[in-house]
Amino acid sequence: MQQTSRCLFLLACAFLAACTDPAAPEPEAASEPAPDLLHVVAINAPLAFFAERLGADLVVVDLLVQGSADPADWQPEATDVVAMQGADLILLNGAGYEPWLERVSLPESRVLISSEAVAAALIESETITHRHGPEGDHSHTETASTLWMDPLLALEQARSVAAALSGLRPEAADEISARMAALEHELLQLHQAWLQVAARAGAAPLLFSHPVYQYFERRYQLNGRSLHWEPAEDPGESEWSALAVLLETHPARLMVWEGEPASETIRRLSDLGVGTLVVKPGADAASGDFLDVQNANVDRFSVALGNGQ
Amino acid sequence: MMGALYLGWRYVARHRWKTGLLTAAMSLILFLPPALMLLIERGSQSLTERAATTPLLLGAPGSPLELTLSSLYFSSATPRSLPRESVSAVDSALAVTTPLYVRYQARGFPIVGTSPDYLTLRGLQAAAGRSFALLGECVIGADVARSLGIGVGDSVISAPETLFDLAGVYPLKLSVVGVLAPSLTRDDDAIITDLRTTWVIEGLGHGHQDLERAEASDLVLARDGDSVTANAALKQYNEITDENRASFHFHGDNGKYPISGAIVVPHDQKSEAILLGRFIDVADLQLVAPRAVIAELLDTVFTIQNFVLLTMVLVSVATLVTILLVLALSLQLRARERLTLQRMGAAGSSVGIMMASEALFVVVAGAILAAFFLALTRLIGTNELVLLLSG
Repeated sequence: MQQTSRCLFLLACAFLAACTDPAAPEPEAASEPAPDLLHVVAINAPLAFFAERLGADLVVVDLLVQGSADPADWQPEATDVVAMQGADLILLNGAGYEPWLERVSLPESRVLISSEAVAAALIESETITHRHGPEGDHSHTETASTLWMDPLLALEQARSVAAALSGLRPEAADEISARMAALEHELLQLHQAWLQVAARAGAAPLLFSHPVYQYFERRYQLNGRSLHWEPAEDPGESEWSALAVLLETHPARLMVWEGEPASETIRRLSDLGVGTLVVKPGADAASGDFLDVQNANVDRFSVALGNGQ
Repeated sequence: MMGALYLGWRYVARHRWKTGLLTAAMSLILFLPPALMLLIERGSQSLTERAATTPLLLGAPGSPLELTLSSLYFSSATPRSLPRESVSAVDSALAVTTPLYVRYQARGFPIVGTSPDYLTLRGLQAAAGRSFALLGECVIGADVARSLGIGVGDSVISAPETLFDLAGVYPLKLSVVGVLAPSLTRDDDAIITDLRTTWVIEGLGHGHQDLERAEASDLVLARDGDSVTANAALKQYNEITDENRASFHFHGDNGKYPISGAIVVPHDQKSEAILLGRFIDVADLQLVAPRAVIAELLDTVFTIQNFVLLTMVLVSVATLVTILLVLALSLQLRARERLTLQRMGAAGSSVGIMMASEALFVVVAGAILAAFFLALTRLIGTNELVLLLSG
């Protein structure tokens, strides 16, 4: 009996000692894990720019098409699509910019088609099928897709990107909203700059080398006609003849190009009294910062108008 | 006592056929009712889990049960279709939707047209290969791969709906790019592909030779502006390959193309309640909660279960009575044996133990067998059996 009591007493002491250990340190509050970066993929440079400016340190942005390749001509392979499927947000342009979209499988919950925000403002154009260069035949889509050339449409695209990012990171909605306000200010400044350029251009006839300036022309009510000439290629004698005929009814003094045209093309245009001006759409990865590209376009246009063209 | 038991055991061993039959009957009496309850419990658990991971389903007006069974278990009865654009009726600020088109099948396995979101929703991972990425690709469930003996790099051909409708659904060869890891759900029996691929099967999308090319001039009947009329020699592709994929296209408004339903995952419970409230008065769509539909179905199943159990109990009682009758007859037949043992000087209790050992062995052996098979069923067989029985 005494032995039993002794054992019970020792057990009780051990129990009490385990419960009340003043030296036991308080467990540290678990540190909050750093929020995971959002992986965003974008089809072209303007959308990537918007994602980077609005997402800042919340996002890692990858361009689907690298280098100077035109995203509008890109066809994804299966590996590209699988990579897209792994992204948190897939930024696409829409409006026919990605004709492969109906032949690939993307998680719809993570796809943002930025042109849907301005669906009512899209321009439908006729399909043109033609042959040039080593690639052979190609056609332009039925809907004009270079929305970002109109700063106000670019603003709507940016807003849809901001909304998507805020949906994925609601705790950062205020920061994203603040960055959107700053971006909006810059885009509106760009718009004002273009308005001034357009005022100076007035109703003067213009030529556009490629049908990628539709939204730009519409916004600033430019009197333009689109050809289908590539900067690095000679368009051929039939095109030169057609241009000569066109100039009789549309006496343009300036032709706007996506990129620097070949020197022979510049010379022949000069012979026809037509100057050249580069206004880069800036869709490819090599173009760099979207606003820098567009502001440089404004500067070049201003200079060209100042040169009396 | 051990001597009596030994003699009893020798008797049982001598009459092994009779003892075996009686033991089997006893084990069935003891095994069937709990096995049935176990199967129903596991089946209802499986059904409930599948429904729990599918908060809401959007479909055309009709039977909620048909919509649920088609969308969750890919049953052969396809509910009325609804246009793809109907999904926009679900506010994206409240929920994420994943479309489904379950209408076609290939070699007896359902083809589920959906988006890669479905794989994420169901937690399905590729055990081999990758997810479907391009038009014409598919991933197959583990049971499909095992049953058909196919894997990554192989193909399956969709079954035509009818041999006599040449202008309707025609077989399309799908490329298998991934095999899913077993999930012990209906997805193991599914061939999962992109929604647009099922539209190609339906004939809403197609690929054919390019009529703009010079070599296709023999195929052109007439040209009128942008409109080109081709003759019957125009070849439409029944397999989507890397070479011809770019030629595949859809005519008309994709929003009008059919789906059989859509899985709706609300962001939170409040969103779910809001959505259910909004769809109460919508005439051309229905939004159902599979949990409620399955619960109603299980109530019916449990009612039937009770009837089946009652029947089993009655049959068991009858079987038990028969066993007792056999044992009684056996005792009667052993009357001379009892008399011999008594005359040899065996105690009455020992004789009783010997006579009762047969019944004791039948009960104990039957109980052990029943417990063994019940344990086997619990460990191994219920999921497969449930999937098999759920067809």
